Amino acid sequence: MKKKIGVYICHCGGNISDYVDVERVRKSVEGDEGVFLAKTTMFACADSNQKQMVEDIKDQGLDGVVVASCSPKLHLLTFRAVTERGGLNKYNYVHANIREQVSWAHSDDKEGATEKAIKIVKAAVAKVRHAESLDPIEVKSTKAVAVIGAGVAGMRAAIELAEAGSDVYLIEREFFVGGRVSQWDDLTLTEESGKELVTRLYDSVMGQKNVTLFTGAEVVENSGSVGNFELKVKVTPRHFKLQCNGNELQKAIDVCPVEVPDEFNFNITTRKAIFHNFPSEYPQLPAIDIKNCTRCGECEKVCSAVDFSQKTEYLNLKVGSILLATGFDPYEPPKGEFGYGEIDNVVTFPQFKRIIHYCDDKLIYRGKEIKNIAYIYCVGSRQVDGPNKYCSRYCCTSNIHAAITVKKKYKGIHNFHFNRGIRTYGKAEVWYDESSRLGDIYLQSFEHDPPVFEKQGDKTIVKIKDVLTSDRELEVAADLVVLVTGMVPRKDNSIGNLLKIPRGRDNFFNEIHMKLRPVETVIDGVTIAGASQGPKNISESMNSALSAATKSFSLINSGELQLEPTVAKVNEETCEWCGKCDEACPYSAFEKIKVNEKFIAKVNAAVCKGCGMCLPVCPTNALQLIGLSDEDVESMIDALIPNY
Amino acid sequence: MQEQMKTLEYDVLVVGAGIAGGESALNLANIGYKVLMVEKEPSIGGKMILLSKVFPTLDCAACITTPKVSEIARHPNITVFTDTETEKINKKGEHQFEAVILRKPRYVDVDACTGCQLCEEACPVSVTDEFQFGLVGRKAAYIPFSIASPRAAVIDIENCILCGACERACPPDCIDFTQTEEKFLVKIKSVVVATGFDLFDPLKIPRYGYGKFKNVITSMQMERELAPTRPFNTVLRPGDGKMPDNLAYVLCTGSRDKSVGNPICSQICCMYSIKQAQLLLGALPMADVTIYYLHIRAFGKGFNEFYAQAQDMGVTFIKGKVGTITEKENGNLILRYEDIEAGVVKEAEHDMVVLSVGVLPHQGISEKFENQKLKLDPFHFIDQSDILASPAKTSIEGVFVAGTASGPMDIPDSILSGGSASAQTTSYLRKEEL
Repeated sequence: MKKKIGVYICHCGGNISDYVDVERVRKSVEGDEGVFLAKTTMFACADSNQKQMVEDIKDQGLDGVVVASCSPKLHLLTFRAVTERGGLNKYNYVHANIREQVSWAHSDDKEGATEKAIKIVKAAVAKVRHAESLDPIEVKSTKAVAVIGAGVAGMRAAIELAEAGSDVYLIEREFFVGGRVSQWDDLTLTEESGKELVTRLYDSVMGQKNVTLFTGAEVVENSGSVGNFELKVKVTPRHFKLQCNGNELQKAIDVCPVEVPDEFNFNITTRKAIFHNFPSEYPQLPAIDIKNCTRCGECEKVCSAVDFSQKTEYLNLKVGSILLATGFDPYEPPKGEFGYGEIDNVVTFPQFKRIIHYCDDKLIYRGKEIKNIAYIYCVGSRQVDGPNKYCSRYCCTSNIHAAITVKKKYKGIHNFHFNRGIRTYGKAEVWYDESSRLGDIYLQSFEHDPPVFEKQGDKTIVKIKDVLTSDRELEVAADLVVLVTGMVPRKDNSIGNLLKIPRGRDNFFNEIHMKLRPVETVIDGVTIAGASQGPKNISESMNSALSAATKSFSLINSGELQLEPTVAKVNEETCEWCGKCDEACPYSAFEKIKVNEKFIAKVNAAVCKGCGMCLPVCPTNALQLIGLSDEDVESMIDALIPNY
Repeated sequence: MQEQMKTLEYDVLVVGAGIAGGESALNLANIGYKVLMVEKEPSIGGKMILLSKVFPTLDCAACITTPKVSEIARHPNITVFTDTETEKINKKGEHQFEAVILRKPRYVDVDACTGCQLCEEACPVSVTDEFQFGLVGRKAAYIPFSIASPRAAVIDIENCILCGACERACPPDCIDFTQTEEKFLVKIKSVVVATGFDLFDPLKIPRYGYGKFKNVITSMQMERELAPTRPFNTVLRPGDGKMPDNLAYVLCTGSRDKSVGNPICSQICCMYSIKQAQLLLGALPMADVTIYYLHIRAFGKGFNEFYAQAQDMGVTFIKGKVGTITEKENGNLILRYEDIEAGVVKEAEHDMVVLSVGVLPHQGISEKFENQKLKLDPFHFIDQSDILASPAKTSIEGVFVAGTASGPMDIPDSILSGGSASAQTTSYLRKEEL
């Protein structure tokens, strides 16, 4: 039992003290059993107060510490560290949340808020009385990182990790690297094209001795935890041998009878079952799309590199950390949204980019030369009724940049931008300005009043009530309508599900805290990068990829990790293995083992998060949480409901 | 002078101890590199530590900044020099840089100062408080702000009358007028430039009346009025101390405006104005808030939702450019603006106007690089020589840029940029080790 507890009650600069009478809280615990000192402070987290706490612990010989402040998500670690600097074991610290749980929740009831704060602080004091010193669980960590997704963010992260000194497994689901950027010719920001950027990064990846690239590869199983993840990777064969003669290859493509929509060109063209995305493909080796292949064998007859004997392989990889750079999907409008799939001159922005790629001196789509282009912005983003409430960030800038390119590349182009308020943030403003100077017309409506379409011959009439000309009804006869589609999370979230990565309101992968831990997830050891986390342009993706690489590297760099000791513990005598704990555990931390001819549960301490889900389901009460025993909880309840 | 300089050796020099420089320094220090951070102000934490709450999560800025600041201050691999200017930086070869830094005297022994503020009470000199952006005054002996790090007094020698009152009042006797400037020669292997940004000075747009009409303030002043360590403990209009009930925000003040030499968008003003509007509706439940805007740039994660939330809370958004502001006798202000939607010029009366001032480059650091050119972009931010693949790279190999030194960005982007700079610095340093 502690005899010299220090209690600190934080004003949070008004965030708490505007609604909670902190002085009353302080007085109410001052005389409690074991409490040696009780203070209030403007900002408990400020350096000056931290120093004061360290001094108090040392000079007054405190044996337990409570800080009543904000959520432990923000500052539990801060004050544990303070306790440690004072010379105490950090588990002699207990955090009381009187901001998120009190002042912010009960800003309409100051009296009630103060009473609740008093109880919460008393409960924390009750808990700290029983607190015991604990040692962290030490685990060895594998000095290797799995980077999932070999788009530009994944490749850049892999290069960085390798240069820092880690082994890297770069795992790409497609047969070719480069992700979305390989499908994008002109880029904003520099003169470099998407293809050139992908080439540059691929060459650099290949130049790293400690990066192993797998294409056609998918993670199918995951076990273990931070420091020691074990991944099972399924590698699908390309059915092509390394040495491949170009002439033979062309013959093989020519004889292939299968024709399917080419996803690389966003289905505006078709390809054979033998395919490559040449010239922007890496590795420069074609592949056979075995799902669509009819096994007719014609290609084998003309091309010696075709090899149908290649088998799917499974590899087991051991890594210390996983970096997810799985990217995004372009929004695919449902049939009928702004005429998509119904009116034949309506295309999406990614399709438009591919059309520009294939048109040299004239812009031609479906055999017709294009002069008047109507761009409809915010398709699939900032939805009024749909689920995508977010702004896709890149589209205004990228589309305006493309519109300028089109105008400069082809003669007689007229651009009409049907927008909802242009968001060319930062330096991208100059392209908005340039496009206006080039004579592009901007027409705006608000979300509840989108432009409407009408088909007239081979043109599409786009009508808008334009807010920029005091709601005048304007119309444009467009040869081509480009739906400026946003970014959406990957349809296939199998890797997210496998690793149990939480997703945000926007359905993209969610970080722990946007500012404090922007590339880490609640799954220890798994970091996120690039557009898998939300819409980003290339430069922003690179910054997040490099930040994630740094975080992943810092986890594995020393070869050792310290984990929280506050995990579940099994009483071997009373456990009768019924499996209920295993069912309840969200982290798969339980294992069935045999001890003395009896099956019992075993906790993998490196995987257990100490969430406590297993405790109430155990019929024999054989589970305890270290650092939060029944005795702790009961004493806290007694403090919370004193007269019960 | 050269002979008198003390020589210091570190792996990395980080210029600027704001949130981006801090992130870089912490990452590098955690990997094991020795870092020297120099900060020209008397406290670290940059602009972020002075903010109220941050969008779109409405976390209090202090709650996020102070733990980072505290970690920086006590990290065994980080040395912080405040009140310190970088005089010059020379590249002697790959992984060899030499910088000369000048530490100005604080006239206070920082280690001995307890932050008791008795010197402040004793000091007879009152001047405008730059950390409260001119809203209130401070003494010539003062603690910059309550959550400053280090939380130690500073003597503002420009304004000090050398009366000695502070010296007599100081219990630990830590005020020392004999301190002098110190110059150091710093040998490092790499440099991270995280010098941040400046705010647009609205005196350059006289038609908005800033500096003349007391109830026209900047967004940074409103930030201070809303901050936990706010000077008035509520929101007041400076002209007469009345609580405002009809506030206006003028967006794009000094941004997207070629007439003041800044054609680009500042990227943060829309969002911080929307945030302040939400906070104002909380602080002044009866108040109306109107935001005059051209385009709302709510593009980041959760930003558009935050914008929609402000609309739902009752913030009025008017698409239109404010032309002029005039003052009525009672201190209220008349905004003459183009209502774009209606297609007419209108006038509206508000009792307080906040100018949402833009982000400008903090200039000067590029000139400190003597023997190699630190290239700037057309807007005078530090040029990112490989913005697509290595965004922290600059025109000098081994010199990296973090945060708003390379252009306008919000806090999450600054932190990621700081992380990115530390990663690229690490790669650069590893090349020497191999």
